[in-house]
Parts: sequence; structure tokens; C-alpha cells
Amino acid sequence: MNTRMRLQHSTISRVYPVQLANRYLTSRIIPLIAVAAVALCVALVVIVVSVMSGFLDMLRASGRTLMGDVVISYPIRGIPWYEQLIDTIEKLPEAQAATPLIDTYGLVRMPYPEGSEKEVVTANVWGIEPQSFNRVTDFSKALYWKPPITPEAAAAMLPDDPRLKLSQSILNDGLDLMKSATGEPGLVLGMHVSIANERMRDGSYRPRYQWFMPRQSVTLTLVPISAKGTIAEPRERVFPVVNEFKSGVYQIDKNRVMISLSEAQKLLRMDAGTLYDMQAPPNADGSLPVLGTSPAKVHKVLVRAKPGVTPDQLQAAVFGAYEKFAFDISQDPSKAVKAPHVESMNILTWEQHLRDLIAPVEKEREMMRILFSIVYLVCAGLVLSIFWAIVQEKTRDVGILRSVGASRLGILWIFLQYGLVIGAIGGLFGVGLGWLVIHYINFIHETIGQDAPAWSYMASFCIALVSLAMCVRGAMTGVLLSTLLWLVLGITLAIVGAGLMLHRGTLIWDPSVYYFATIPDQVDWFTAISTWFGAVIFSVLGASIPAAKAADIHPVRALRYE
Amino acid sequence: MSKFLLEAKNLRKTYTLGRVKVPVLRGASFTLAQGEWVAILGSSGSGKSTLLHLLGLLDECDADSGGVWFDGNPVADLKFSARNSYRNQSVGFVFQFYHLLPELSVLENALLPNMVNAGMSWWSQRAQAQKHATELLDAFGLSHRLTHRPAELSGGERQRVAIARALANQPRVLLADEPTGNLDTKTGGEILDLIAAKHRKGLSIAMVTHDPAVAARADRVVKLVDGCVAG
Repeated sequence: MNTRMRLQHSTISRVYPVQLANRYLTSRIIPLIAVAAVALCVALVVIVVSVMSGFLDMLRASGRTLMGDVVISYPIRGIPWYEQLIDTIEKLPEAQAATPLIDTYGLVRMPYPEGSEKEVVTANVWGIEPQSFNRVTDFSKALYWKPPITPEAAAAMLPDDPRLKLSQSILNDGLDLMKSATGEPGLVLGMHVSIANERMRDGSYRPRYQWFMPRQSVTLTLVPISAKGTIAEPRERVFPVVNEFKSGVYQIDKNRVMISLSEAQKLLRMDAGTLYDMQAPPNADGSLPVLGTSPAKVHKVLVRAKPGVTPDQLQAAVFGAYEKFAFDISQDPSKAVKAPHVESMNILTWEQHLRDLIAPVEKEREMMRILFSIVYLVCAGLVLSIFWAIVQEKTRDVGILRSVGASRLGILWIFLQYGLVIGAIGGLFGVGLGWLVIHYINFIHETIGQDAPAWSYMASFCIALVSLAMCVRGAMTGVLLSTLLWLVLGITLAIVGAGLMLHRGTLIWDPSVYYFATIPDQVDWFTAISTWFGAVIFSVLGASIPAAKAADIHPVRALRYE
Repeated sequence: MSKFLLEAKNLRKTYTLGRVKVPVLRGASFTLAQGEWVAILGSSGSGKSTLLHLLGLLDECDADSGGVWFDGNPVADLKFSARNSYRNQSVGFVFQFYHLLPELSVLENALLPNMVNAGMSWWSQRAQAQKHATELLDAFGLSHRLTHRPAELSGGERQRVAIARALANQPRVLLADEPTGNLDTKTGGEILDLIAAKHRKGLSIAMVTHDPAVAARADRVVKLVDGCVAG
């Protein structure tokens, strides 16, 4: 081969950087430290943002489940002629179903404790029409006490789960809001309204103190409010508890009870009646002249969209339907009570209705995402410092490679690949670790929430003693590194043991603060994948400066490097 | 066409140490004919290694310097990629301190120039390159050490691996910088025997040494004094 031909031969190679990067990675401990650091950073972001996203998703899902897609509300005075409004709405091509709702507050006297001084709790009382309510929301799914539907569902339950012994009638009673045995109107409690339900580790409940609420009765007191906004005489009624519901939102399950719409209307004096003319002189028999019928009223109408229709589309259609309804009522001379003008009404999508709840959580999540993105810089900084040290150590290798014809780009590529692999592997481990923690987060939380078992701190103390004995042995043989390592291990384990012994359970996720009784345990895969990409990019960026430094090293100076 | 395989004329090289300029080569010229073994003899600091680095294009000479010709072609002003190619295929370096990559095995060290040269075609050339490197290492008495790391070898064995690496791409010139300087006399003698055997098969050699006994093995000796070739 003549010289000119040989000089024109391409020297751009892609093989030796791969092999060398592979050898540098597999023959040293320092890349493992870099991988571990990147993994921890990624896991941190994945865990925090996944919990926040899960929290937001749970808020949204439960909000929609309980509210339908669009809510029409006219609080205090109520919406008259609501049956006609519901008929109008249900004729819309966008609407699947609509249901009336009474939404008020009341007092519930519990059957406990024993004796005459019973506990009284305040509650958000919903009066519902069970059949139509179940069409708009997932009410039947939310009812907790029901027998398992399939043998598989029964097999998944623990043997002492009381639901295994229940009959179908308890579910039917809940769905009808009526005690079928006696024909009395019933009441459904939120799962945490009473103190009777104890949550187990598997998420199921057991009656506490032998109080199984569906066999009890409670007294509900409501305060009617007049059209003028004044408080009338409170009304109370005893209701047998027919079932309990669990929406998943702790604040709702802790505060809400449901009774039938007609009972709620009666207690609040919002049922249909006769409208008298208070201004006119009395009739000959002393009675007041009749103006017409005072219609029954509700505070809200919930509407569910047909599949494929967005809440915004339904909202626009419902807005138009209400305008038509109000106009029709105003034109009907037989109806003395008119519907409120559309501008007085709140017609909101479920998301707008829960905006006050959802918006702060969304903002918190974004803030967390931004704050924890700082770990990308930590990744880049870690990789940069580790690679800086590696390049210093490998300076002579750079000179050797240049002496056998390696190009500067080839040298650059060795270290960039090194960063790429550390970012990719560390990121993968981080996503895996994040998934593991998220998957078992409720178990971890409950374990932290309990006292540490005696064996855990005894084991820590024992290993600490052994470590300290090894430390003394190291000191006697004069090996400083082993003495120091055993000492650090011994002291750390002694502190861990003491911490475990004094640990009395810590409640981190307080359901009364975070709305839900369980911590979200689903990984936000968008965040996980984007964090992985971020870790790879920032690891390569961190590696790029030392890599460029390595490529710029003069071969002769590199060969003479001591 | 030049009668020399490698030729350098009026080479100048100045190093800057802080604010001080230190001239190392002051117009040194050098020739190496095809199949010739030339020893470059000189005391420490006379510019022997610098001359070797300039001949192998590991370093660049001053702007007012002459040039380097390989097989009659000027090579000192080549672009980066061509300089890399020259170091990879036309010359092979052997250093006093072996300079093996500690993470690679003996065989992988010997294959390094092939890997650098091959690009993505390495996987198709690998078997052939591996066969050649194994034969070379076998001839150097290292067949039982192929999978060992440099740290597991003696000084003489490491230098033999370094020579095998320098000859991996069958270069026409071996540039050896004190190849026996770090070895005892017996082992150094064995290394020189290996080099001499390759020389007998036609390899051209430029060898830097400060030891007259080693220089005596060469066909011709060039003395370097204060950055110039004496005599």
C-alpha cells in the first residue's frame, strides 16, 4: 500500500470507544457510585411527582364520579320545576342522564356510646333520587357493604371479611335508600362518618366495638331555610342506616350522608305545596286565597355526558337548555313560581365546580416538578466531578490512544458514552426503585406508622456490637481504614437501633389533610420517562466538559503525565 | 523520489515553560533509509525524545522549522485525520515505560491499533487481526499471557506487549524511545534481540537511547548534542 493511500484511510472509529468505555465502566467502583447517585436522584423525582400526580388524578376521578359532568346549582332557595328541567336536559343529544339533588348540612345523632349521651356529628346531607343518581354517578359502586359479585372477588377477600356473609338485600336497600324489611326510608353513611369502621392493611373494613352501622339507626336533624333566608324550626327524623359508601375522598367519606330526595325535601320544607296570596284579604271561611302550586325544589341538578361528549360541550348545551326551560316557565301562566334567570345560576363542569380544590394541587405538583428538577443539575454535577477525576486519572491513557492514531473525536466519544451509559443505567435503576417504592408506598407508610418490632432494634444493636468489636480488632492490628469503617458502621447501627427502639409510629400521610385515606400508588409514567431522559441528557452534559478536556490533552504531555 | 523512507530537515522545537522559552531542537536533521536501524544517542535533555515525537507526528515543530517526509511525501503539515492515520499505520511507537492500557488484556492491548483503525468494519476484520496479534505475541513468548492484565506481567513482558502493539498494523517504521531504559541488562538484551529479529525482516527502526551499548546494535548512530545532530 503506498503512503498517500494509507494517509487517506479514514481514522474515524466507533469500536474502541465502545470497548474502552465498557472496560472503564466494568472494572472500577467509581462508575457504580455515579450510577447509584443518578438512580437516587431519578427515584426521588419519580416518587414525589407520581404521588402528586396520583393525588390529582384521584381528586379528579372522585370529583367526576360524585358530581357527574355538569352541575347546575341554585343554593338555598332551590330550583323550582326541576322535573321539567331534567326532561329538557335529557332530551339533549349531549346528555346521558340528569338527577336532582338536595345539598345541605345537618346534625346526625349516632347510636353510640351506650347510655343516653349519644355522640352528635355535623354532616353534609345529600338528598338523592337513587335510581337517577346512580345513572349520573357511580353510586352503586361506591356502596361498601355488599356481597362479592364473583367467586374470584370472594376469593380475594380475607376469611374474616364481613362482606362474605352479607346478602344481596343490603345492597338493594342501599340502592333504594329504604329498609326493605320495614319499608322505612333509610340513610347511607359515608364510611368514616361513624367511628365504627376500622380500616385493615388490605384496605377492607371491620366493624369496631361490634358496631355494624347497617344494623343501627341514627337521628338526622335538618334546619329549613325560608325563601327570605330566615331559619325555620329544625326538623328531625330517625333513619335506619341501610348501607355505607366509600368515595375514596376522605373529606367526603368523613362528612357526607345520603337520604332520599323526598325525605330531604320534607325535612327542609322544599317539597311541593300550595301557594297562598299573603297580600290579599282572607276568604270568607278565613283561609288565604290560593295563588297556585308551590313546586318542590332542589339545590342542584347533576348531568352526565354521553360517551364521547366532553364536559365543556355538555356545559354549553345545558346552558342553552336552561335558557329554554326558564323561558318556557316564564311564559306559562299556570306556574306562579318562576325559574331563576340563567345569569343567577351556576352551570359548571365538574372540574370548574371543584376548581378551588384542584387548582392548588395542580400548582403544587408543578412547583414540586420544578423544585425537584434541580436534581438534574445534581446529576450533571455528580457526573462532572466523577468524570473530572476519571479524566485526570486516565490522562496517560489518552496519550497512549493518541500515539496509536486515535482521533480527538474518538477520545471525546469514549467519555461521552461513559456518561450516556451511566445516565441510562442509573436512570433505569432510578425508575425501577421509584416504581418499587410507589407500588409499596402504603405498606411502607403503615409500617412506619407502627412501633418498630423488638427484633429489628435488637438485631441493629447486635450487629453494632460486632462492628465495634471489629473496630477494636482493627485498631489493635493498626489498620486505620478498616478501624474507621467498622467504627462508622457500628455507630450508625447503634443510632439506627436507638431510633427504632424509640420509634412510636409516625403518621405522615394524614387523610384529614390529604383528602384520601390511601396514598396514590401508581407511577406517573410520563414523569418517569421524561425524568429518565433528563438524567441521560444531564449525565452526558456533565460528562461533556471532562470529555472535551480529555480530547484537548496534548498527546506528548499526556504521555509524560505523572 | 527520496532515497530515504523517513527524513527530517532543520527541525526546530521550542517549549514554553511559564514565561521562559526553552529551545530543545535547534535545526536537527535526520534520515532513515528503508530497512535501516538508526540509534539516536544523546544525553538527557538533548532533544532525543522530542525528535522522535516530531518524526511520529505526536508533536508539532515550530513555525520556522523545516519538515518531515515519509516515503518522499511531506507529512508535518498534514490535517488531523491524516496525522492520526500516519501514527496508526505508518509508524509504531514503543516507550520506555511501556504505556499499556491497564483495563485491557495483553491481547486487547496488542489489538488496539487495529481497533482504532477499523471503524465499524472491526467486527469483520477482528478474526484476522486477532490471528496476527496472537502470532506476534506467540513469537514474543507471551502465548500464555494473552488474557492477563498488564499489572500481572513483568517489565520485560510488558515491553514485549508494547512492541507487539507497535507492530500490530505492520508499520514500516518503529519509533522506540529508550525501550530498554527501564529493564535490567538481560531483559533489555532480550528486547533488543526481538527488535533485531524484526529489523532483519525489513523493519526500519529509529531508536532513542543514551546507552552506547544499545546504540551499538544499530546500523548507524546519530548523536544529538544541544538540539543539533553532531558531526
